[in-house]
Amino acid sequence: MFKFFSSSNVYSLIQKLINFINSIFFLILIIGLTFALHLSPPDYVQGDSVRIMYVHVPAAWLALACFSSITFLSILNFIFKIRNFYFINKSIAPIGLLFTCLAIITGSLWGQPTWGTWWVWDARLTSMFVLMLFYVFYILAFKLLRKEELIIKVSSIIAIIGSINIPIIKYSVEWWTTLHQPASIKIIGSSSIHPAMLLPLLVMLLVFLLYGALIFLMKYKTEIIRIKKKNLKRL
Amino acid sequence: MIIKFITMNGHGIYVWFSFSIVFISCAVFYLKTRKTLRKYENDFLVDLQNLPAEEKNKALGTSKVAQQILATNSKMN
Repeated sequence: MFKFFSSSNVYSLIQKLINFINSIFFLILIIGLTFALHLSPPDYVQGDSVRIMYVHVPAAWLALACFSSITFLSILNFIFKIRNFYFINKSIAPIGLLFTCLAIITGSLWGQPTWGTWWVWDARLTSMFVLMLFYVFYILAFKLLRKEELIIKVSSIIAIIGSINIPIIKYSVEWWTTLHQPASIKIIGSSSIHPAMLLPLLVMLLVFLLYGALIFLMKYKTEIIRIKKKNLKRL
Repeated sequence: MIIKFITMNGHGIYVWFSFSIVFISCAVFYLKTRKTLRKYENDFLVDLQNLPAEEKNKALGTSKVAQQILATNSKMN
C-alpha cells in the first residue's frame, strides 16, 4: 500500500493525470463558456450581470476549499509529521490565493451594477479579504523562512488561526446584515437557484476544479523534481 | 443579435471584463507554473549529465523519476 505512494509511482501517476486533464479541459471549458455566456437565462432582477456568478462562485468555493484542505493537512502534518503534506500544502496555497483574488475582483465587478458600489466593508467581503491576507502570510512563510521545521510550525499556526475565518465567511450572510445575498445553493435543504442556472454553474465549477487540479499537479511535480535534484548524488 | 450578445443590455462591460480577468490571470499563472516545471526538469537533467558516468548510470538505474524526466525530455526534443 505504502509502496504505491512512493515518489516514483506518484510521479508517473501525476504525468498521466496531467495528460488526462489536458485532453478534456478545453472541451469542458467551451461547453461551460457557451452555457455561461449564451445559453443560460438572464436573471429577472439583475439581468445579464448574473453571468458573473459563473466565474465568481466557483472561484470563491475553491478558495475556501483550498484553505480548508491546507488546514486539515497542516493539522495532520503537525501531529503525524508526514513530509508529503508539507509539499502538498505548498502546492495548494498559490492556487487558493489566485482563486481568492479572482473571487474578490469578480465580486467587485458584480457589485457595481447590482449594488451600485465596487466595494463595501461588509461581513462577507471583509472576511474574504481576511482570507486573502491569510493566504499571503501563509505563502510568505514558505518564501521568507529557511528551516523546514520552522516553516511547518509557522505555516501550520497560520492555517489553524486562519481556519477560524472559514465558518465566518460561510455564515457571515446569516449572522450579520450584509449587502451580499444569502446562499442560493444548499447541500442540505432546497436550493433557490433555477436548474437553468445551476447546470452552467456546475459545469464552470468542474472547469475551475480541473484547472486547480492541473496547476496543483504541475506544482507538486516541480516539488518532487526539486527534492530529487537535491538528492541526486544519493540516488 | 451579436451586438445584443456583446452589450448584454448594458452589463456587457462588467461580464466581459470579469471573464477576461479570470481567463488572463489563469493563463498567465498556468504558463508561469509550466515554465518553472520545465526549468526544474532541465536543471535536473543538467545535473544528471554532469555526474560521472558510473553515478549517472546508478542514478538512472535506481530512480524511476530520473528515468521519466529523461524520457519526457527526449520526447519534447
